[in-house]
Amino acid sequence: MTSFFARIEASGIATTISQSVPLNGVLSGLHLVGLTLLVGSVLVSSLRLFGVVLPHEPVAEVTRAARRGIVLGLAISVASGLLLLSPRISRASANYIFQLKMLLLCAAAAFHFAIYRNAARGTGRTWLPPWVAGTLGLMLWSAVVLAGAAFILIE
Amino acid sequence: MAATILHACGWIEQTPLGVFVRESQYAFLVLVAIHIAGLALSAGTVVWFDLRLLGVSMRGVPAPAVYRQLMPWFFAGFLVMFVSGGTLLSGFATAAYGNAYFRVKVSALLLAGVNALVYHLVTARRVARMDGAATLPWPARAAGLLSIAAWTIVILAGRMISYTLYSH
Repeated sequence: MTSFFARIEASGIATTISQSVPLNGVLSGLHLVGLTLLVGSVLVSSLRLFGVVLPHEPVAEVTRAARRGIVLGLAISVASGLLLLSPRISRASANYIFQLKMLLLCAAAAFHFAIYRNAARGTGRTWLPPWVAGTLGLMLWSAVVLAGAAFILIE
Repeated sequence: MAATILHACGWIEQTPLGVFVRESQYAFLVLVAIHIAGLALSAGTVVWFDLRLLGVSMRGVPAPAVYRQLMPWFFAGFLVMFVSGGTLLSGFATAAYGNAYFRVKVSALLLAGVNALVYHLVTARRVARMDGAATLPWPARAAGLLSIAAWTIVILAGRMISYTLYSH
């Protein structure tokens, strides 16, 4: 794994990123755009599952686009995050807060695709009550964001 | 005018709050984290109203209902973003005044504000009369598109400020 990380850090793209402040800024901005889309999508979708927003509208009507927003926001965040990390991936991967963030990210993504997505479709084909799925989804993604903020503080 | 603003910036930086933000080991980073969380909540929520105006999401739900339900969350996030951003600014007001990305961010925030004002004063009445139509008139769709563009610029310029302004 160490040699794999060393190869990433020595790659042309990682070298380019490490030497360019504007490129770091743009990637960081895109990371935040993805995070914003993800947070907003999870919030709107989960609040509907709780019955807090638009409780009289069908679940699927409110959450259909938000489910796509979660996936798009996640894809933008992960792609830009990997590029941002590429020049310092060895150091970051040794940080326990970063490890926690990655663990929570995997848990949140797995929960989303295995359980949350079905609950947010509003078809009733889920073994968790919608409000429980909404609560767990919101908690997991909030934990990912908090771990990300903690990583900024500690790094 | 510029000299007066710079003088005011210098005064703000010398207030106890400005000195604390600049010299504390953790205050700056904690404020940045809170600012980002507030931004994600406000922009992340308002984008769903903008997408409704564009006819991309919740087409079966009347736009005024989407607005009423989502705006409290937007304003909560905006308040957090505004207070934390203002506190951050108190420590670095002079440098921020001369920073191009800060000016772009403030301009984009003003654009988002004016766009929202025009929508509520002019377009919202027309939308309310349409009784939940899925496709809204072009001024409403333009307002949604402009809002998404303005908030994207706020986010991108905001991150560039972190890379060009602060000495931390």
